[in-house]
Amino acid sequence: MTSTRAVSVTRARKSFDSREVLHDVSFGIDRGEVVSLIGPSGAGKSTLLRCLTLLDTFDEGSLSYGDLEVTSRGEDGRAVYDKEAMRQARMRFGIVFQNYNLFPHFTVMRNVCDAPVVVQHRDKAEVEAEARVLLDRIGLSDHADKVPCQLSGGQQQRVAICRALAMKPDVIYFDEATSALDPKLTDDMHRIIRELASDGMAVGIVTHEMGFARDASDRICFLFDGQIVEDGPANQVINDPVDPRTRAFLSSPED
Amino acid sequence: MSTSTMFSMLVSSYGTSLEIFALTLLGAIPLGVLIVLGRLSRFRPLSLLMQLLISVMRGTPLMLQMFAVFFVPFYVFGIQTGTDYMFTAVIIAFVINYAAYFAEIYRSGIQSMPQGQYEAALVLGYSHAQTFFRIILPQVVKRILPAMGNEVITLVKDTSLAFSIGIIEMFTQSRALVASQRNMIPFALAAAIYWVTCLVIEFALRRAEKKLDYYHD
Repeated sequence: MTSTRAVSVTRARKSFDSREVLHDVSFGIDRGEVVSLIGPSGAGKSTLLRCLTLLDTFDEGSLSYGDLEVTSRGEDGRAVYDKEAMRQARMRFGIVFQNYNLFPHFTVMRNVCDAPVVVQHRDKAEVEAEARVLLDRIGLSDHADKVPCQLSGGQQQRVAICRALAMKPDVIYFDEATSALDPKLTDDMHRIIRELASDGMAVGIVTHEMGFARDASDRICFLFDGQIVEDGPANQVINDPVDPRTRAFLSSPED
Repeated sequence: MSTSTMFSMLVSSYGTSLEIFALTLLGAIPLGVLIVLGRLSRFRPLSLLMQLLISVMRGTPLMLQMFAVFFVPFYVFGIQTGTDYMFTAVIIAFVINYAAYFAEIYRSGIQSMPQGQYEAALVLGYSHAQTFFRIILPQVVKRILPAMGNEVITLVKDTSLAFSIGIIEMFTQSRALVASQRNMIPFALAAAIYWVTCLVIEFALRRAEKKLDYYHD
């Protein structure tokens, strides 16, 4: 089990000032697995995602990407982050942000290729050839020389996917993957995510859309008030939740 | 003295004005980057020092700063400076003064950048320096161009302040001509030359803005 884990979090805690937003969260994604993280607003989904992507840090607990331990346990029990491990971990995951955060002054091609060339010191021609394959696969080959503002929202999101994939990560995260997409594009996204998983990628999705979570993922974790209160196969969590809080959330129209 | 003689005398002193203008930009544009990096540094003493520098440079007259730079070596350190130090003093004062203003313009641009750009760069593994020079700065340039244009045009006319310290630039020359010829035409000619210079700069700025118009965010 542990050998196929692409990312693993154990007993993580996180507070802002004195308010604890994550209590004792354990979470992981296997290679080739699609996991959705659902839950009401303020449950800690974004905080968990920010900590997974090293935009923020857990106070306690451990985080590892594959065999790479990003944290160690300090004497006082707090999580200690290793700078070099963080740097290496960033090469093991990618994220598609909710509003994509493409670099507006770069062409599509440069958005995808700049980091692999500049950060990973890979051969430019090789990276560009790979980028063309990625863009082609995702239906953007005609747009390589455009800048992001010339593309639609759905196209920009796909550029963001290519940008993340060009780094050859083991894990890719989607923050609100479908919030800005129409049904057709949501369908495409579903297909893209399944393809990534069948290529062996670990996929983590933070979403509000239960239908999408159920259809696209293998497993769903329900985060409530900073704790994972339900973790199971997608269909079971949506159709037959065990925890009363999950049941209440899924039956209420809000969110 | 004919108008054309006066004109050619003004044009030859205009070289000095242009020199002050060009050297100031050459020095102040990069120095402003250093000042703003210090100003935005998380190392508090450095940030405070840069705030103080910016405050003093903006809060005291440039003319006074020129005199300070000119007289300090002699009165404070007892160093005899030759007349050629006059020009150097002007440039030093102009560069520091303009760098302080530029730093504040850079800061407005840097702070207007969305947080998401930094986060995207961080996740992709860019170092701080790479993030700043590849992702942030090029976008900041586009954002601050109009404000920078304002300062650059002000600088064209500010070069005439060098008159007060005894540099013979175009304004000094025009005053001398007005006095010796008892004729206002040198002033009109100087005004025309300043204005044409600014027209050229406005044109160049418009070109630059157009060039950066290939994207918006």
